[in-house]
Amino acid sequence: MITVENLHKSFGKLEVLKGIDAKIEQKEVVCVIGPSGSGKSTFLRCLNLLEEITSGDVVVDGASLNDPKTNINEVRKEVGMVFQQFNLFPHKSVIENVMLAPQKARGISKDEAQDRAQKLLEKVGLSEKADMYPNQLSGGQQQRVAIARALAMEPKVMLFDEPTSALDPELVGEVLAVMKQLAYEGMTMVVVTHEMGFAKEVGDRVLFMDEGIIMEEGNPEQIFTNPESERTKEFLNKIL
Amino acid sequence: MLDRFNFSGVVEFLPQLMTGLYYTLLISVVGLLIGFVLGAIFGLGRISRIKIIYWISSVYIEVLRGTPVLVQAIWIFYALPLIIYYNFDSVTAGIIVIALNSGAYIAEIVRGAVVSIEKGQMEAGRSLGLNHRQTMRHIIWPQAFKRMIPPLGNQFIISIKDTSLLSVILVPELIFQGRLIAANHFNAVEIYTTVAVFYLAITLTLSFVLSIVERRLDV
Repeated sequence: MITVENLHKSFGKLEVLKGIDAKIEQKEVVCVIGPSGSGKSTFLRCLNLLEEITSGDVVVDGASLNDPKTNINEVRKEVGMVFQQFNLFPHKSVIENVMLAPQKARGISKDEAQDRAQKLLEKVGLSEKADMYPNQLSGGQQQRVAIARALAMEPKVMLFDEPTSALDPELVGEVLAVMKQLAYEGMTMVVVTHEMGFAKEVGDRVLFMDEGIIMEEGNPEQIFTNPESERTKEFLNKIL
Repeated sequence: MLDRFNFSGVVEFLPQLMTGLYYTLLISVVGLLIGFVLGAIFGLGRISRIKIIYWISSVYIEVLRGTPVLVQAIWIFYALPLIIYYNFDSVTAGIIVIALNSGAYIAEIVRGAVVSIEKGQMEAGRSLGLNHRQTMRHIIWPQAFKRMIPPLGNQFIISIKDTSLLSVILVPELIFQGRLIAANHFNAVEIYTTVAVFYLAITLTLSFVLSIVERRLDV
């Protein structure tokens, strides 16, 4: 589904990603963990070109993101993204948030978009909030709307950029529950997270990033109980 | 102290002052409408990543903000015709001055409002597969527009008052008419006070309308 080849990313002189190779298979749930500043978010944002690639390549569903001929808008329609700060559109109601992109980017009718949005809001447990505005919702509710908004494009992959980091602790569970359900339904997911419980339970594979490279990867069992690298051990000791 | 003055006599001159009011309003409304379009174009131009568009916008904004309205009016009415071999009537020249001048300030208002929208909004739109233009139109612009309203109101009031300077290029607006009347009838106090009240009536009405709009849009 996604292939990352020797990906480098620099901001000016600061090299944040120092050669990343990774493969994400269809229906796989890959959790990316690591200390802050390790480049996890930058890595994720390169997967839909929210960050320009300095060198190397990311191939999403056959489309090379480093190829100027690739229409990035077409790629992004297949790659949903959920942000740490939700980034809902504050001037639109909940259902309008979910309806906008399918209508404008996919060109589906308003009625169809509305049907789809209603089903998705039901799925994330917020159908009764359809006509409210984002600022009337709790953080957890906003993030669930953001997930519904991304799903409305019927993407092939979902990217999650620390989706629960901005939430009050008691609201984390409801968002993780929605993500878990998505994973069980077979959605391909890349999740940058500090929720080790989620990574353990739902992740098919865990990537441990540090200082701009993938230090270690493997199934959650192996990473969490028997990490190979010293850095991984150190990180897990601090966090668990 | 005020009995020396004959304010009731002003009634006689109301038709002439109304003509002046008509031109003041005409130039303000048409000038500001064009000014808003110019402001939107050059304001977005100033955040364009295309160098040439950025530079053209910057030159326009800096030149018009950096020179007095009075000089702009005189230049456009008296100097420009000698360059382009075309004479404007004074009302047209007045509209051009107000449009160009307010456009430069409005451009900065537009730019400020657009860049004040959180970066995450553009990213959210783009990540959904909307292109840059769609994201600007459906997500950034509506939010930016709300934030523009208070400073736009301010600019509208300034520009309306600036139309009084157009009397020097013979636009038959309010103060121009007032000066004609006062010169012929020696009633400077009565007429100029009335003129001032007229301006105040326009700007207060505008302030009132804007406060309603602000409340409606919940800025």
